[in-house]
Amino acid sequence: MTANPARVVPEAAGEDGYAWRRMHPITPFLKGWKIVFAVLVVGWTQMADNVRNAGQILGGNGWLLALGGFGVIAVLAVAWSYVSWRVTRYAVTDEAVHLRQGIVFRQQRQSRLDRLQAVDVVQPLLARLVGLSELRLEVAGGSGSRVSLAFLREAEADALRAELLALAAGLHRPTTNGLPGAAQPGLGAPGALGGARPDGVPTAGADGALGPAAQAVAPGSAGSDGAGGSVGGMDPSVSAGPVGGFAAPYDLAAPSSYAGNATGATPTYQGANQPPATYASYGARGAVSQPVFATAPEHLVYELPMPRLLGSIVRSGGTFWTITFVVAIAIMITAGAPFEAIYSFVPMAFALASFFWQRINGAATFRAATSPDGIRLRHGLTETRSQTLPPGRVQAVRLRQPLLWRGKDWWRVEVNVAGYAHDRERRGSEVVLHPVATRDEAMLALWLVLPDLGVDDPAAAMRAGLKGFGEDGGFTAAPRRSRWVDPIGWRRHGVLVTRRALLLRSGRFWRRLDVVPHEKTQSLALEQGPLQRKLGVASVAAHSTHGPVVPRIEHLDTAVAVALLEEQAERARHARRTAAPEQWMRSQ
Amino acid sequence: MAPDDPFALDLAWTHVSPRLAAARLTVAACWLVPLAVVVALPALLSGVAGLWALPAVVVLLMAWLLWLVPRQARALMYAEREDDLLIRRGIMFRSLVVVPYGRMQFVDVKAGPIDRAFGIAGVQLHTASPSSDASIAGLPPAEAARLRERLASRGEARLAGL
Repeated sequence: MTANPARVVPEAAGEDGYAWRRMHPITPFLKGWKIVFAVLVVGWTQMADNVRNAGQILGGNGWLLALGGFGVIAVLAVAWSYVSWRVTRYAVTDEAVHLRQGIVFRQQRQSRLDRLQAVDVVQPLLARLVGLSELRLEVAGGSGSRVSLAFLREAEADALRAELLALAAGLHRPTTNGLPGAAQPGLGAPGALGGARPDGVPTAGADGALGPAAQAVAPGSAGSDGAGGSVGGMDPSVSAGPVGGFAAPYDLAAPSSYAGNATGATPTYQGANQPPATYASYGARGAVSQPVFATAPEHLVYELPMPRLLGSIVRSGGTFWTITFVVAIAIMITAGAPFEAIYSFVPMAFALASFFWQRINGAATFRAATSPDGIRLRHGLTETRSQTLPPGRVQAVRLRQPLLWRGKDWWRVEVNVAGYAHDRERRGSEVVLHPVATRDEAMLALWLVLPDLGVDDPAAAMRAGLKGFGEDGGFTAAPRRSRWVDPIGWRRHGVLVTRRALLLRSGRFWRRLDVVPHEKTQSLALEQGPLQRKLGVASVAAHSTHGPVVPRIEHLDTAVAVALLEEQAERARHARRTAAPEQWMRSQ
Repeated sequence: MAPDDPFALDLAWTHVSPRLAAARLTVAACWLVPLAVVVALPALLSGVAGLWALPAVVVLLMAWLLWLVPRQARALMYAEREDDLLIRRGIMFRSLVVVPYGRMQFVDVKAGPIDRAFGIAGVQLHTASPSSDASIAGLPPAEAARLRERLASRGEARLAGL
């Protein structure tokens, strides 16, 4: 573990030479409470099963016994949590986060920061009340690879998040590597990201506005009055502006006015919103225990108004079930059904209530912002969650429209991020980029992930992708003969290959558009069943990481599908070669 | 294979060992033969003609597998290109998977007892995607080892992030 002793923090060196830190001392109570709550729930459901028996037991002195037993369980739960807290420690080095835990089975986990996929700060209700938060680091290590630091003081969690993101971006702490603080401004030129590609060719021109935009910002980062200087002058209070100004997010004028750069190119969020002062001012801070890295500033891009969220929930399948449910109960009551029969509906009512509650709780106060660290998402009513997706971590995007949202033209935007959503059933709000977006916001959400869609008229391409049929907007559609295998949806099946991404369109009633950046394609597959072969059509799948997006296009003409497969393999290979580095502030 | 097969992509495909079919049939026989005996016993003992329907179904299943498995094994083939590995399978339901070496996270080489008895092994590539089913069963062990080495070295040379 101490392969690199030169990086050891001298003054706080403990075992292994790392500066081990503990979670907040209140942690055992917060975690113990969960166990107690679980016991309460089990007890409650047991009682609900036979109410009369429970009444008899709890009559007399029974309730004293119950209370005593409950107290013992509570004490045991807290004691267990306390011991677990005692052995849990974490340490942060320039390359990795180390987490030690486990009472019976000891575990020390080391997660490489350059593989960091997302950082979440989660605050469950109780933790929020006492001002604590949980920091979750997602690395793409498959199921259970998350590193959870719970609980930390709010300020500590925020500072740690900033530090981890900066380290993951390829910056270094001023003290640990022995560099004088004065050498740090070099780090303040993350604009090099776009300019200095390995092949030395800036991705300029129509293909990628990344190069010029990022380069224009670089002087600003160094503190001069260069082209990017206007970025520095951007006041956080302006941040509400973009929402209004984003009628057409892919309209090139809009994003560049947002970023205040004059190149007229679509800026990337890495480049455009680069805070000039933040990373340049690290050097002054000395002690490691102090927050070394300032939190990167963020600019609000969109937020979800509560009425729209409620409206979207009303227009969901849950409403249909609620109505069915209420009607069923009304019929049973008028028919004089026994109380027990009606009582049996209680679990279903709970299920419905929890469905609605989860929908509201997960998406309420949803807001997305850009920052140099990537996309910032904040949401949640009782349990709040603040997510950071560093640049290039989104593997695929899906825009989908449930049947009842068609009239409003609302869209739900979901993403695949490696590390998130390994357990499918608990796939929740963390993979949502926008719970209920208007069409403009949906495009804006896609713009967050893919600043350059790679077509000359992105708005038209998006329109065709979201609502179009057949050959609209340059899409390659499924041939007419495919109606024999898909009589309803065949006209919606279509694919558009842009310079940067693959757009897959499908769904006649439940519309869907999947967007996969070329460099994020894992592997490709061509599939053909017997009926498809008779018709001379085939399906193509682009494999992405775990998540809600499963990109696939059905029933293309066989020759077209084969060509798509071949070309896409080539395009993905080429895109990977020129893709931005994992450490997004580095130019390597 | 028809010359105008669109799935062929004009590549030199390597077929897997025909011993794969034998190995798979052996595995199937291991549980189908005892099953056939068990379901035939009541018919034998009771003499009721209707009871022969069950063993008949099992025998039909065996016949179907006897036809299907060698066919599947014949259809399984792979090709190595400069930057990716291609795997084809199926005749009725055909599929072709293209896995870039640079996307590979790790490689498994597996051989169960029956596989070993038949002198074959399986190679499976894992990418960061759960959907990419890139496995080649029925390779001679030497070929499996060669392929693993080759994939591992190519993967390293072309390793990107996610």
